Amino acid sequence: MRALLLRRLATAVPTLAAVVLLSFLLMRLAPGGPFDGELAMDPATRAALVHAYGLDLPLPAQMLRYVGGLARGDFGPSLVYRDFTVTDLIASGLPVSLTLGGLALTLAVMLGISAGLIAATRAGGRTDRILMFAMTLLTAVPTFVTGPALVLLFALALGWAPVSGWAGGDPAHLALPVIALALPVAGAIGKLTRAGLAATLRQDHIRSAHARGLSPSRVLLVHALRPALVPVASYLGPAAAGMLTGAVVIETVFALPGLGRHFVQGALNRDYPLVLGVVILYAALILLFNLLADLLYGWLDPRMRG
Amino acid sequence: MIRPRAPGLILSAIVLAALLLPPLLPWRYDVIDWGGVRAPPLSPGHLLGADGVGRDLLARTLVGARVTLAVAAAAALVSLVIGVAWGATAGWIGGRVDEAMMRVVDALYALPFMFVVILLMVVFGRSILLVFLGIGAVEWLTMARVVRGQVMALREQPFVIAAEAAGAPPRRIVTMHVLPNIAGVALAYLLLTVPQVVMIESFLSFLGLGVQEPLTSLGILVKEGADDMDISPHALLLPGGLLVAILICLTVLGERLRDRLAA
Amino acid sequence: MTIYAVEGLCVSAGGQPLVSDIGFTIGRGECVALVGASGSGKSLTCLAPFGLLPLPVAGSARLRGRELIGMSPPSLRHARGHDAGFIFQQPLTALTPHLKVGRQLAEAWRQAGKGRPRRTDLVALLDRVGLDHVDERLDQYPHRLSGGQRQRVAIAAAIAHDPALLVADEPTSALDATLRAAMLDLLGRLREGGLALLLVSHDLPSVARQADRIVVLEAGRVIESGAASTVLRTPRNAYTRALIEAAPHLSEPPPLLPPVGPPLLTAEGVCVSFPRPGRRRGRVQAVADATLAVHAGEGLAIVGGSGSGKSTLARAIARLGPIDAGQVAWAGRTLPARGRMGRGDRHLMQPVFQDPLASLDPMWRVRDIVAEPLRHLRPGLSPIARAEAVAAALGDVEMDSALADRYPATLSGGQAQRVAIARAIVTQPKLLLLDEATSGLDVLVASRIVSLIARLQHERGLAILFVTHDLALARRLCARIAVMAAGRIVETGAMESVIARPAHPVTRALVVASQ
Repeated sequence: MRALLLRRLATAVPTLAAVVLLSFLLMRLAPGGPFDGELAMDPATRAALVHAYGLDLPLPAQMLRYVGGLARGDFGPSLVYRDFTVTDLIASGLPVSLTLGGLALTLAVMLGISAGLIAATRAGGRTDRILMFAMTLLTAVPTFVTGPALVLLFALALGWAPVSGWAGGDPAHLALPVIALALPVAGAIGKLTRAGLAATLRQDHIRSAHARGLSPSRVLLVHALRPALVPVASYLGPAAAGMLTGAVVIETVFALPGLGRHFVQGALNRDYPLVLGVVILYAALILLFNLLADLLYGWLDPRMRG
Repeated sequence: MIRPRAPGLILSAIVLAALLLPPLLPWRYDVIDWGGVRAPPLSPGHLLGADGVGRDLLARTLVGARVTLAVAAAAALVSLVIGVAWGATAGWIGGRVDEAMMRVVDALYALPFMFVVILLMVVFGRSILLVFLGIGAVEWLTMARVVRGQVMALREQPFVIAAEAAGAPPRRIVTMHVLPNIAGVALAYLLLTVPQVVMIESFLSFLGLGVQEPLTSLGILVKEGADDMDISPHALLLPGGLLVAILICLTVLGERLRDRLAA
Repeated sequence: MTIYAVEGLCVSAGGQPLVSDIGFTIGRGECVALVGASGSGKSLTCLAPFGLLPLPVAGSARLRGRELIGMSPPSLRHARGHDAGFIFQQPLTALTPHLKVGRQLAEAWRQAGKGRPRRTDLVALLDRVGLDHVDERLDQYPHRLSGGQRQRVAIAAAIAHDPALLVADEPTSALDATLRAAMLDLLGRLREGGLALLLVSHDLPSVARQADRIVVLEAGRVIESGAASTVLRTPRNAYTRALIEAAPHLSEPPPLLPPVGPPLLTAEGVCVSFPRPGRRRGRVQAVADATLAVHAGEGLAIVGGSGSGKSTLARAIARLGPIDAGQVAWAGRTLPARGRMGRGDRHLMQPVFQDPLASLDPMWRVRDIVAEPLRHLRPGLSPIARAEAVAAALGDVEMDSALADRYPATLSGGQAQRVAIARAIVTQPKLLLLDEATSGLDVLVASRIVSLIARLQHERGLAILFVTHDLALARRLCARIAVMAAGRIVETGAMESVIARPAHPVTRALVVASQ
């Protein structure tokens, strides 16, 4: 187990390094400089700015400077929001995004596993088919359709929830974005749980457990569920990535001041350091979730502890 | 829950309509009808109404679907080619080569790919070519993993060893015994890749980072519809509904094929 | 005292009767064996009355006087938890992988309402099934145990609640000969405590020693039943007789084998290792320093338990698997490495594998499968000559030529194995490598395949390298034997003298287990 974890860590660190290196190089290779848009700038000011941002240094030196900054938690200055550093922007957006993502992931796991369990106990029946079709529906409908559709129904038509805004994390404001973000992931987890259970319930040890006279619920929860959740664990990394991607849309739709919004704004405004910083942060988050999944494997199935 | 043939039929109908119908409509997707701004559905000349600048919604939706499907098909094919080549090579050669190749896939998997694609857009400007190249480059990873697993399993199968004993050269074993036996699984994952690509493309377009005006796609239309949804909800529901229908049909078809092959 | 009585039992699926009108009784401490080929309905008969199969059951099955047929699922569960225990064929998968041995045993123990077991209770339980290092086993996960150990734990879990009846569905089929004998001994000892045993098997002679009575099933009906020794010695039914004769046995007279020529295939100092599964470093030595020779027209058996390295060795020699070191020569000429084997080298020997369906490409027709070696090894052959050779090979293995256009999925196991043999002999090789070629087949089918191979051996003077775990079966084809254990050849010699005077303990155990 420790060996596996170390090995994963040994992959994760170079991966993160590669992300930093490649993204950084891409930024510098971009045609045109960051100040090209500002026509009115006189050459002296421009030179001063270029020097201030360290853009006149050779590429390796710039790289070192950036990585050195990263190590101190400094992602550099934002080019568009002149009064803020990227670190400020991230610090303001991250809590919003983490709240949103954390709640949505919890909801998705609870919904998905329950749906998968219910469907598996009624395998082949109508409940099973209806639930599984609903799960497919959830995975197939993109967040940027669910988001507006939820707003249309619950905010505009029924008036049960506010249309948009953060309001300091007010639960009423959070409900719709969290649900919209959770639904596709819940669908995927539901399908994986159902498939995992179907495969596990066919195995010999389940027949042995039944033969010992155990109750069906005990067989399901004690003997079948844990190994059946292995595919769900391996989905955790992609789920985290999906959540982050979804959050970009959801934050845009619901006008939430999260990281995703900064990212989109940064991308539209060509604010390179901001985009770079968010990408690196996201990469780190996804790697973290993959490591978490590895830890879960060992608990779910002791054979994987090596 | 749904009739076995429904997804295939609905999908074919959508594809045919997107390909054939637009020229038959009274208004082109990008022509502005100054008299028809925000025309409601069932207006004369605008069967499903028009948008905020008077462009026919039906024509725009169909052309949007065409663009979305074309990008998706192209990107899925790119992912098929790269994924099968990469996965089959790794799985067949095995050993260190396999380990190194799959390490690359693992590392790429761990990237926030959507954001890398966006990064590329930011850096190199937006073009439809870049959109589908970028997406194809993202989506081959799953295909590569699946194909590699299949090839590794097949490589140890007695019938492959028997072919070796029969004197068949490696290239022939791969092309005659291994690839035909993974074709079904590859097709299933190809079908499942298409909705993924549709999703990414619409996502990028929704954010304003994908296909550019005046060309349109379902993602752009959903975005436009969402902006106006309090005034004309049908402008959101029509492209959104079509997008969802495409995604569901493809997902159901792909999953069904995959499950049948796994059984 | 009767523990379990079955009368007029019928099981059906979709209105089709699968087994009908079955009856037998088992008394305290008695053993009844249900015997039949696969598909005869023996597993259905023993599992369906207990509600372990989702199939409608009619008739009567009384366990300690209580009628099981028509019982509600909770009552059936209660019956299973109190009065009956079950063990199944696959020891490797019978235990829940994420629960420690002790926890699974305790759970089974509590089923009978005896409360939480003390640790000493569980230790005593594992002692009863003959497990060693009992105390530490309780805290181990099942995957840490070997196949034989896991089967013992599975038996312990099945008897933890002190049932009156133990139902054992093919408990030894997945075990090699040595383990099989030990397991049957264990079941016998459990009976001494009064446990009634319902034993299901396809191997009539091996269960005959254990059973008091035998019930023979064919196509869902009882065709013969009676005292074990009577059924074994004087079977009245032709099918029963075929079942008895099909199972190879050391007491049968040695077969007449063809004369032996000069050495053909010689291997010296063969070593094979694999990367340790799941680890980055370290390798497992699968075969160490193996030396052997196969003579022209001779059968050489490589016999050993599962995991002894016998298949790995055979594949390495045939240049169809990895090899670390060692010389392999054909009639004195060193054979090139696996990737360099040319036409002339490949056509000397051909393999036949264990799983007949997996050894045929599912996408190819039978005709093309058999033609493939000709296409590569005799490229000069015209299409017409090739078609003729394919037809002749199919004729040689007694295959209906109408099957030539079929795909493998539509063939039975026996037919598929005939196709595999046809493919192996179509290029007229000098040596046939049989890698457990009959282990995946039913007793009757396997026996016919062995007869077929024996005929080819005599007609064509084929040399045979026969990899098997079944000593008595090996004796039907081979005059010489090499016994393998833990990757090494521990004994070689003439078959009859090795059987008469086994020198190595592993060989001795094999011989005892095969008697």
